[in-house]
Amino acid sequence: MSPSTDWRVADNRIGILFIVPFVVAAALVFMVYPVLESVRLAFYQHNPLNPDASVFVGLENFRTIFDDPLFWQSFRQAAIWTGCSIVLQTVIGVLLALLLHLPLRGISVFRGLLLFPYIVPTVVIALILQWMLNPDIGVVNWSLRGAGLIDESIYWLATPNMAMLSTIMLNVWKYTPFVTICVLARLQTIPLELYDAAKVDGAGPLRRFLDITLPQLAEVLVVVVIFRTIWTFNKFEEIYLLTKGGPGTSTFNLAIYSFEQSVASLKMGVGAATGVVMMLLLFAGSLVYMRVFRFASEEAE
Amino acid sequence: MKTRIPSGMPDPRLSPRRKFLTDLAALSGGVAATGALPAWAQTKSTKTGTVRVWGEPGPYAGVAVDAMNEWAKKFAPGIAFKLETLSWDSVYVKLMTDLAARNPAHCISVESPIAYQLMADLLLEPLDDVVQKVGRNRLVDGVKWEYWGAWKGKQYVLPAHHQPHLLVVRMDVVNELGLGNPDNWNWDDLRNAARTISEKRKDMAGISLALGRNLCTDYHFAALLHSAGGRMFDVANKYQVVFDSPETVEALEYVKSLQPYMPKGAVSYSFLEVVDSIVTGRAGISFYWGRPYGRAAEENPAVFANLQSFNHARHPKTGRRSNWNDFQGWCIPRPNNQYVEEVKAALVYYQTSPEWLVRYCHSLMPNVSPVYKDVLSAPRLQEHPFFKTKRETIMNYYVNSLPNSSSTGNELLKGVNPLAGVVHGRSILAQTVQKVVVDNWKAPDAAKWGARELEQVRKDNLRLLQIA
Repeated sequence: MSPSTDWRVADNRIGILFIVPFVVAAALVFMVYPVLESVRLAFYQHNPLNPDASVFVGLENFRTIFDDPLFWQSFRQAAIWTGCSIVLQTVIGVLLALLLHLPLRGISVFRGLLLFPYIVPTVVIALILQWMLNPDIGVVNWSLRGAGLIDESIYWLATPNMAMLSTIMLNVWKYTPFVTICVLARLQTIPLELYDAAKVDGAGPLRRFLDITLPQLAEVLVVVVIFRTIWTFNKFEEIYLLTKGGPGTSTFNLAIYSFEQSVASLKMGVGAATGVVMMLLLFAGSLVYMRVFRFASEEAE
Repeated sequence: MKTRIPSGMPDPRLSPRRKFLTDLAALSGGVAATGALPAWAQTKSTKTGTVRVWGEPGPYAGVAVDAMNEWAKKFAPGIAFKLETLSWDSVYVKLMTDLAARNPAHCISVESPIAYQLMADLLLEPLDDVVQKVGRNRLVDGVKWEYWGAWKGKQYVLPAHHQPHLLVVRMDVVNELGLGNPDNWNWDDLRNAARTISEKRKDMAGISLALGRNLCTDYHFAALLHSAGGRMFDVANKYQVVFDSPETVEALEYVKSLQPYMPKGAVSYSFLEVVDSIVTGRAGISFYWGRPYGRAAEENPAVFANLQSFNHARHPKTGRRSNWNDFQGWCIPRPNNQYVEEVKAALVYYQTSPEWLVRYCHSLMPNVSPVYKDVLSAPRLQEHPFFKTKRETIMNYYVNSLPNSSSTGNELLKGVNPLAGVVHGRSILAQTVQKVVVDNWKAPDAAKWGARELEQVRKDNLRLLQIA
């Protein structure tokens, strides 16, 4: 090892030494402490307005949520919202990626535009969407009426099924670009020789997609779907900003349920217990992800 | 087609109201003569910093803060009062999270039930000394200090205004369809009017009420519940829950019977959507406070010209015409509040100035009703242009509504109840209504569900009531 290499290694180590305290401090303050505090609170009856009167209640908060029909309704709705969102994001995301992979003039502009929904703040999107979906003056109903597709206004946010559909639409619109970008990146690494060979063997476009493209995308799709599932299941702001969980409780998910328990009902312990349940679900999702990822890596080796 | 107004010419459509407000704003320097102030309001302070004030949306909170800043300019030049406006539907969340973080504003004006909750939780400063300075005998007839917020013998809230929701009616439509005088309607007549308007006027819903999961729905439903003689809690009997009653069922069934004549979107309506439906002329009848008048005057003069507000339709059996009257006031949170004395002095300064109080009322006519006799009788109050065309409506909001006052925090005026704040935080009344209008539950089942939720609120908050 040359002296210059020694210096470089030493530089790297010093750099890491400088970074470590901040990383550790940030992790402790913003991740470890909130998680531990949330777990602690889950075992207490805690009113934020009277923090000095906290009482240890054991598993009572968990019993409360598991006995609450609204918890299970929120869980069911979270599953529907997540499932529908992920399926649509994946299908539309792959189709868009295939389109954007075509060697057309100016395609890079569209690839750039793809990021737009992803970078616009959710609060902006939700407020605009509320106006667009307004049954009386919204542009969506106006356009549908103009095109002769509907006679009567659609109440996008005022009926349970349509409200669920609207929140799914928002999630799909905002996060499909994430799927598209991941898939597009993978598409660009598939060797063209594979397609040429398939063409020589007489494979048509559909055959080539099913036998070459899809298997090549499988690994990235698994990762994307697992990540998106975890993130979507725990989403709060999109639903809260668009419907506040309504009408009724028809768009509640577990995050909204937790918020309502903590802030509206001032039952921090019950809200925290819900958070712990969500954390366990997230942890289970992460385990699945890590296992799939390891399998994928082993297969690659 | 829009008419262009030559530059430099006054716009005649801009309303005497806007011109009046502009003129009024010009008065802003020194409306209260220092010499006329009580000595206590002239307390000097050397403190520095920003005094945070929470107020609901609307110009009136801004007027109050202007008055407080006028006090600060004279007696505490190092501090400035700064208004933070909170929308109604987020006020509870903001309040509770800030209190939980022990960082509330230094002076707040919130819906009365929420103030009652804070008061009973001993999170507010007692204001008996301020009341003494402001004048205990100034209240208009028909109200009591406790309506704004008194608990266990102490006054915690200083009046800002009272604010009832009434029956807002498009008189041109009612007259055209021969629906009679709304002042004489009972519940059946109201429903009949809503149905007739829906059937005859295809461009208009018969009635627009909030049915969403929000405060506005709580307030709309509470008025019907109280008219029917029902209540949530029996204050005189250890705050027992009395919601599972025939009166609740009747009120719920009545809302359900009105639903076909409401906009379909009403199940997600809150305050803003109801105002929109009135101002844009998409509803013939509504329940609302005085707010739509100001907007209608500027945005839709044709609607404004035909709007009139009445006491609510009578319940056919009880004869009651209950409204939901917000006796909203100013209170001073205790946690981490280093400006208690300054806020008290500024409140005395503004509350002892009829000029500022008139300006407060004028800023959004007739949404915020005067609470002091000298303000109600002040000739200047009647100089507002709305008095020329809407005198009856204004007096209905200001005075004639008072015998029908009720609220969730003081049901049928039978006693202040701090549990109502928690009830609103959880939107229990609105959720009960939604069980019927969205989930199609039978009214008795919804009433039972609501009663269970209220029982839970009572059980969780016995410490507020200081009863076993």
